Amino acid sequence: MRNNKWFLMSFILILSMFVLAACGGDDQEETSESNEEETTNTEENSEENASEETGGEVNLYTGRHYDTDQELYDKFEEETGIKVNVIEGKDDELIARLDREGEASEADLLITADAGRLHRAKSQELLQPIESDVLSENIPEKFRDEDNNWFGLTKRARIIAYHKERVNEEDVQTYMDLTKDELQDKVLIRSSSNIYNQSLVASMIATEGEEAAKEWAQGIVDNMARDPQGGDRDQAKAVAAGEGDVAVMNTYYMGKMLNSEDEEEVKVAEQLEIMFPNQDTTGTHVNISGVGVTASSQNTENAKKFIEFLSKEEAQKQFAEANYEYPVNPNVEPSELLQSWGEFKEQDIRLNELGENNDRAIQIMNEVGWK
Amino acid sequence: MNIWSILSLVIVILILIPNITILFNFFTQKAENWNHIHEYILPDLLKNTGLLIVFTGFLTIIIGTSLAWIVSAYEFPMKKFFKWGLILPLAIPPYIAGYTYNGILNYTGVLQTTLRNNWDIEVDQVYFNILNLPGAVFIFTLFLFPYVYTITRAFLANQSASLIENARLLGRSPVDIFFRVVLPISRGAIVGGVSLVLLEVLNDYGVVQYFGVPTFSTAIFQTWFGMNDLNSAIKLSATLMFIVFAILTLEKVLRGRKKYASTTAKARPLHPTQLKGWKAWGAFGYCLFIFLLGFLIPFVQLVDWMLLTFEKIASPEFTTLIWNSLLVSFVGALLIVLFAVIIANFSRMHQSALSKSAAKVTILGYSIPGAVIAVGISTVFIGLDSGLSSFYESTGLESRLFLSTSLVILISAYIIRFLAIGYNSIESGFDKIGNKYTEASRMLGMNMTRTFFKVDLKMIKAPLISGFLLAFIEIIKELPLTLILRPFNFGTLSTNAFKYASDEQIHEAALASIIIVVISAIAVFVFHQVLEKESN
Repeated sequence: MRNNKWFLMSFILILSMFVLAACGGDDQEETSESNEEETTNTEENSEENASEETGGEVNLYTGRHYDTDQELYDKFEEETGIKVNVIEGKDDELIARLDREGEASEADLLITADAGRLHRAKSQELLQPIESDVLSENIPEKFRDEDNNWFGLTKRARIIAYHKERVNEEDVQTYMDLTKDELQDKVLIRSSSNIYNQSLVASMIATEGEEAAKEWAQGIVDNMARDPQGGDRDQAKAVAAGEGDVAVMNTYYMGKMLNSEDEEEVKVAEQLEIMFPNQDTTGTHVNISGVGVTASSQNTENAKKFIEFLSKEEAQKQFAEANYEYPVNPNVEPSELLQSWGEFKEQDIRLNELGENNDRAIQIMNEVGWK
Repeated sequence: MNIWSILSLVIVILILIPNITILFNFFTQKAENWNHIHEYILPDLLKNTGLLIVFTGFLTIIIGTSLAWIVSAYEFPMKKFFKWGLILPLAIPPYIAGYTYNGILNYTGVLQTTLRNNWDIEVDQVYFNILNLPGAVFIFTLFLFPYVYTITRAFLANQSASLIENARLLGRSPVDIFFRVVLPISRGAIVGGVSLVLLEVLNDYGVVQYFGVPTFSTAIFQTWFGMNDLNSAIKLSATLMFIVFAILTLEKVLRGRKKYASTTAKARPLHPTQLKGWKAWGAFGYCLFIFLLGFLIPFVQLVDWMLLTFEKIASPEFTTLIWNSLLVSFVGALLIVLFAVIIANFSRMHQSALSKSAAKVTILGYSIPGAVIAVGISTVFIGLDSGLSSFYESTGLESRLFLSTSLVILISAYIIRFLAIGYNSIESGFDKIGNKYTEASRMLGMNMTRTFFKVDLKMIKAPLISGFLLAFIEIIKELPLTLILRPFNFGTLSTNAFKYASDEQIHEAALASIIIVVISAIAVFVFHQVLEKESN
């Protein structure tokens, strides 16, 4: 009698575990058996295949969190019949999760911001090469991995935002200008834990060498208006508030602030002018968000279709504009706002170098006391 | 060996495995960046972490205990409301509170824009800058002090009547009584509450990262992901574990050996004195001030932002999010209470080394950053799945990671992470009833299990419900584990809030945040009702 109670309790416990497991796996159960009936037709003319139903699914780990991205996934499903299952998370943790899951991972695709991260995923052998004429055509070579392990989807530049009245344009022509004595206690920049700063330093290691990069980082620390804190928008607000005169930020944050529903944020952004640094030298530091097919993918064909879909013109427009970014497809015009900032010369390095130099960049920042 | 010890052992092992997985690497490989970390980062980490702990600990003791005392010992306007209103800050996740306060105080926040646009006053940012160490202390203190307040108040309400009334009869002044009677007798409760606060602080990633205060959790992430050096990250985690262990040992020492089991069957609640005049309003003002800062102000700001973005954000999807959040919180809290009862009952009945360590183990999960627990637990589950792979094949399951991609892994992680919360509540319940009823029942020939169901369970009903509700609130607020261990297409309110907050879209994050706060607030209210019932 007494023991029955325990049996019952443990039975219920185990049962509920499995019910839960089933709940969680809900969407996984619906895998259609038509995986073998993959159409081997790789001529991807969107008009031609628009209504073709191949079915199946594709599983996506993404570090992007935009509601408009979901609309694109739905559109992809409409066009191809391929269901997109999504886990959104922090980029680094998703890569670590992929790594742990190894061969058994159910993810087919990884979308993440920062080329350094994409390179890390590649060097941990989490991605596989994808051969596709569509992608070669839509994505410039510079923004693809040389082994086709990953493909850029959107671009952003790390720019100097300076106060229109307090700073002369001539004084902020280059990243190096930020370390000049004139800007003592005037520079606002995020912490060294921010991946975009890490990649900026990594790019300097690539273009100027370690010594110069370290000198630059030291110069930045000497010129900081305050200890690094907050996000990109907080740097811009500090300029408006008079704590400093120049902020280092990504282009899309300027876009977001200019289009904010909070009119005070718009006012802040309007006091700032954008400078694309290093136009006469090495070019402005550009980073990407991109996608790769996982090494463990079971739905490689669907994954490939998905990337191709995102590289095409109509998707590119929406995917980039969701976050005020530059589309990577050269045939797609950036949004009006971005066009108003004008064309600019991009840094010309292999983007994988951002990943290769990432450790060293972090060490340098620690060494010079960049918090 | 009986069913209790076996079950306890099983639970303890389950909790230990992921932690052991983490520590196992500690001795296996050389951490390549350790020297670099040691030289450039560690001093700063220890300094910041130390300052955060000392100041947050000190302030939560002051605020939590003084409020608990005022509310327990006096009558003043609106006291009935404050009794539970002061627990409400617990309903706001600290990282959301951090973003919200920065939003209120920064250059585009409501304070400065009002000054600028209406009176043309430009102020020095220094007075408004919250993104620093003192700011982080401010946030942690305001949104974690309810741990100290709740535990201390429950103690004072039930236990202290005779001592305090005697002191009053002997003509001691209230201040005297507070320092010479209240603080010493409730030392155990205070220390218990503060340890929960400090463990939360050590565990936090969201606040310190945004506020630019490098601590262990930020450094763990930096070395692990940025430098791709898992071993250094583990070394850092182990250092952190050591600090936690030191805190817990300190707690034991501070608690002393006193057991305050009540001498009568029904402890008399303290009879509050009526305050008059300025004293009454002073007490009212103090409670109101803390309530405004810790709940009402951030809540109103969140509502304001929600209205700003409601059109854009609200969608039918929110029903699913709410349902998902409720589901995992409910199931997780239920299992936590179940496991906590088993261990607490076992360690109460067996004063052995095993039972003592079992109790200690429950707190382990509470001390390690969530993301690190996630690594340990998913490593274990993936191993489990590969062990079961042939079984999966025979049943025709598509998935090769059935358990690791299901809610089972997430719920298990919650249990490991928050078992301490349920355990604390239940342990104090057992402490209070002492062992005499149980012993009497055993003498009359009932065995341990029967006694448990017939006698003990009825007596700790209130702590059971409190433990459940606290665990429920913690889970619904929880972010790091949920984010990385969830199945495909499974969102909760907190992952939705994060989704926006991570891109600095705090306005858009308001809707999910508010729903979390409202659900937690309801849970707080029920929790309070349970406590009230118990003390009457």
